Amino acid sequence: MRYILPLAVTQANERNPDKEAVRYSGKSLTYAELEQRSNSLAITLLEQGLKRGERVGIYMNKSLESAIGMYGIMKAGGAYVPLDPYAPTTRTGFVINDCGIRHLVTSHARLDAVRQILAEKSCLEHLIGVSPQPDMSLNCLEWEQIYQSPHHYPGLNLTEQDLAYILYTSGSTGTPKGIMHTHRSGLSFAEWAATEFGLTPEDRLSNHAPLHFDLSTFDFFAGAIAGATTVIVPEALAKFPANMAKLIEEERITVWYSVPYALIQLTQRGSLEKRDLSTLRWILFAGEVFPTKHLRELVRMLPSVRFSNLYGPTETNVCTCYHMERLPEDSDETIPIGKPCANIEDLVVDLDDRQVAPGEVGELLIRGGVVMKGYWGQPEKTANGFYRRPALDQFEDIFYRTGDLVQMDGDGNYRYLGRKDRQIKTRGYRVELDEVEVALLAHNSVEEAAAFLVPDGQGSNLIESAVVPKIGANLSEEELIAHLSGRLPPYAIPVRIDFLTDFPRTSTGKINRRELQEKAAARQAETA
Amino acid sequence: MDRKSHLIDFIKNEIMHNSKANLDPDTDLLGAGILDSLGVLQLVAFIEKSFHISVPDEDVMYDNFMSINTLINYLQQYG
Repeated sequence: MRYILPLAVTQANERNPDKEAVRYSGKSLTYAELEQRSNSLAITLLEQGLKRGERVGIYMNKSLESAIGMYGIMKAGGAYVPLDPYAPTTRTGFVINDCGIRHLVTSHARLDAVRQILAEKSCLEHLIGVSPQPDMSLNCLEWEQIYQSPHHYPGLNLTEQDLAYILYTSGSTGTPKGIMHTHRSGLSFAEWAATEFGLTPEDRLSNHAPLHFDLSTFDFFAGAIAGATTVIVPEALAKFPANMAKLIEEERITVWYSVPYALIQLTQRGSLEKRDLSTLRWILFAGEVFPTKHLRELVRMLPSVRFSNLYGPTETNVCTCYHMERLPEDSDETIPIGKPCANIEDLVVDLDDRQVAPGEVGELLIRGGVVMKGYWGQPEKTANGFYRRPALDQFEDIFYRTGDLVQMDGDGNYRYLGRKDRQIKTRGYRVELDEVEVALLAHNSVEEAAAFLVPDGQGSNLIESAVVPKIGANLSEEELIAHLSGRLPPYAIPVRIDFLTDFPRTSTGKINRRELQEKAAARQAETA
Repeated sequence: MDRKSHLIDFIKNEIMHNSKANLDPDTDLLGAGILDSLGVLQLVAFIEKSFHISVPDEDVMYDNFMSINTLINYLQQYG
């Protein structure tokens, strides 16, 4: 029985200790090595005084050590918090203080960034994975020292309800919010996925997504449950379609999982026809809509591969799945998000939380083990995120409100129609447009700001914005972008900022964002 | 202006949006978070337009685009 996530590695080690668990840039860890080294890290963290449920940051580029970090932290009873290595340090510093991170698994490459974080008030006390730094008062430990700690499993009394990881995502109030997952919610998803996609020890899974992206939990946890090998795609290579295609061929990847944008790039610029990709058996995608025009091209290039669309917000892991049998021949209608997974209950409701009839449009609500515990430190936001349906006398069924509008088609598949709020996806990244506007408005010279989404002509969308500067202010685009770079991750910074003397208005005087968006889309269509 | 200066100017102005940035020709553009996938596409388009070079898709690889110097080395084959 598996009741906590790292037991997947412990059990794979018992079955097949010499099997490669994780590969990175030609180097690898067997399950025995991953088991022992993550045990040593867990024992080290416990010696440092880590308490059950305490948050530990992982702040580094993906590597073998970041995988050891994930499992070691969970084995010590901690929750791992992956921090985007490319986010501005003020944002990373905010997350560290928001969830009270004392221990940080990091690398020498991030030390300058850690120094910037420490320049502000920070709760950091221990750095794992770096040599002692004379200018820092923190306790630093190198991996070689950690591996000298005992290799046995620390054997704490952990349960499936313990916190396993927190994924921070864009927040509409202007600061990121932490989505808490327990071992139960992580395992509910990973065990479903390992079964659904028939994973075996012979599989070689890609890990394209960054660790702070929920797609990575499939790559590592479903992979470990199956005793398969997970091949990390280094961040730098993930930006180059030709490198990704080479990696799939050379690493003999069998299951690929990423956002559609990466696959569109692979189709258009990966020179796939020159590669032997015969090991590839299944391509999974999630995160945003895969435009049918591009999907058709990919299917044509890889006729023997199966394709599945997975759907679910970070709060619920995956809740529906569509195994593609065929694509619409003559239309570019998008494929459905599919049928509910076996381990969830789905409910579609109207604005008054009344269940709608099949085929009617409504918000999708989800109940089941895959659903998050809540938002870190935000009980009110958590409460608002759930709908409690009275059931039996003593029970309530608790559903998560996805905020996604769906409609069931005649085959029983859900179709995704859009959002209830202003959350968007840009090239697979989830961003609250409100957070972008809050960041723009935080500049002293900005009077009003609007952010909106424009198609990029590449099958995804990009954020554009417009501002009205304060009267008499002398504000340049360069200055405003520098200001945003200190607050937002690179993918959330608008690719264009228009300076206006006033906004188009609706009849009630509000900013007419639709008009701004339509003008920008028309301009984009002209230049494309 | 030579290719190197052109590339440095383009990356500073159009990708980093910071004309005063200090950009070393050996800086790892990916590791430093300067180039993302959108930036790579912008850079390829700039090279093709400004230097009249057609960059084959299979050459748009990390090894060639790692830094300004690796890019200059790569472009040398085009004279």
